[in-house]
Amino acid sequence: MILDVKKLETGYGRLRVLTGVDLSVGRESVGLFGPNGAGKTTLINTIMGINKPWSGVVTFDGQDIGGKATHLVARAGIALVPQERELFPGMSVADNLELGAAYVPRAAGIGKRQLDMVLQLFPILKERYRQLVGTMSGGQQRMVAIGRALMANPLLLILDEPSLGLQPSIVAEVFERLARLKKEIAILVTEQNVRESLKAIDRGYVLENGAVALRDTAEGLAKNPHVVSAYLGI
Amino acid sequence: MNRNLLRLAAALAGAAAVALPAFAGAYPLQVARNVIMYMALAITWDMLLRSGQISFGIAGLFGIGAYAAVLGVLRAGMSPWLSIAFAAAFAGAASFLIGFLILRLRTMYFSIVTLALAEIFRIVIHNLPEFTGGPEGVVLEGVIMKGSASGLYWLTLGGLAVALAASWGFEKSRMHFALTAIRNNETSAKSSGIDIFRWLLVAFVVTSSIQGLLGGIYVQSYGFATPDSVFDANFTLLPLAMALLGGIHSTIGPVLGAILLGLAAEWLKLRIPYGHLVVYGIIIIVVILFMPKGLYGLARKVSGAADRRRA
Repeated sequence: MILDVKKLETGYGRLRVLTGVDLSVGRESVGLFGPNGAGKTTLINTIMGINKPWSGVVTFDGQDIGGKATHLVARAGIALVPQERELFPGMSVADNLELGAAYVPRAAGIGKRQLDMVLQLFPILKERYRQLVGTMSGGQQRMVAIGRALMANPLLLILDEPSLGLQPSIVAEVFERLARLKKEIAILVTEQNVRESLKAIDRGYVLENGAVALRDTAEGLAKNPHVVSAYLGI
Repeated sequence: MNRNLLRLAAALAGAAAVALPAFAGAYPLQVARNVIMYMALAITWDMLLRSGQISFGIAGLFGIGAYAAVLGVLRAGMSPWLSIAFAAAFAGAASFLIGFLILRLRTMYFSIVTLALAEIFRIVIHNLPEFTGGPEGVVLEGVIMKGSASGLYWLTLGGLAVALAASWGFEKSRMHFALTAIRNNETSAKSSGIDIFRWLLVAFVVTSSIQGLLGGIYVQSYGFATPDSVFDANFTLLPLAMALLGGIHSTIGPVLGAILLGLAAEWLKLRIPYGHLVVYGIIIIVVILFMPKGLYGLARKVSGAADRRRA
């Protein structure tokens, strides 16, 4: 396993949000579903070291990263596409992408290769290369954010609600691109849009009230009566 | 082409600045020296601002640099030249220690603490009369380079050159990315592997050292220091106003702002000896209200609009 989370507990102040989460990601694409307030973003922020764990273990690529500073987690090989406000709006597409690789040793010396890969994945970014990202549409900004994360040559790419605020056709496009990526990079993605994301993932977890309520393959989840009634709205 | 034109203009301005003593008298040279010193302070203030940290502590670092220089000469027998280098080193070392304590603070909390620091330095020096001369201050035996007007001018110009070089260094290196990213969004910055605290510390120490250096140059040019003269709030407020007028987050902005506001202040002082600071204050208010990005921002907006019309 690339990422292993065991009995993870954390919260804010006295409020416990995660009550012992077990989750793992191998060389695959894993979805993380659940209603608002279930703790999806908290879980991701705790893996990234933005929130500190109360207890439990987070192992990444063989090393214990639980509670480590965020920039060290990033350098170890996890790239995050945070939920909203993820970019540096006053910077151009080019600068945002270059920045993604600038402070991560794993990306040193292979910037050109990563850049080619990102521009091939999102050709629109090549056209808009010199544009300030603050002036771009929501969908394009999301692509820049994903591109910037990929520039760091991550072992694991974490996306927090990549479809948030995007029109459905763009959501489909983003997920189609993610499905292409999963051959090379492990992916952990949280989503409200379960229907679209099931196409892009291998396995999924359903998080409810701060604990894993369900785990299954994408096909299994698509057929599961609880998932169907609560998340697919059929 | 536009860029080459700017380079040419900068080179000409630089040459004119160096050659100024050849064709300017004592009074214009004195005014220019003043403008140059505030320009250098404005640049250093902006350098830290690029990370989003608003410092009100320029006068504090300037003042301890000034006192490090005079006391270096009087108490440790340094040469005036060495004392100026010592001023920079002392302010740098002090800011390194202070930085560990205060660079976890953000926005107005950081600003208020830097403001308080300047006051703390002043009070400490006030209350150590045996060592620092107390409220009356200390007087040096003479002024550096025997007070030669061109010599003092070039010395101050040297201080500006250090500030300009550091600012360009910030703009052209990874520092620029790090500071811009931190200013824009700290979570994204650290998720991209940026060690926020380390970069802030580097920026704080570099800018503080230069402020200390300028303090050292200042006292060696006047030959005395009192707590009220070298910790004067104007050393914080004027550079800040100049950078705001010229345009923040750039090197050129503070340079423009310092020239305009520095010359305007001199002119106002001659015209309205007792009211010039009021007019000065009004200029600052108008700038903040109507040109939040300063002259440089306005120029970029106008030239951008012109480019679009042409396209």
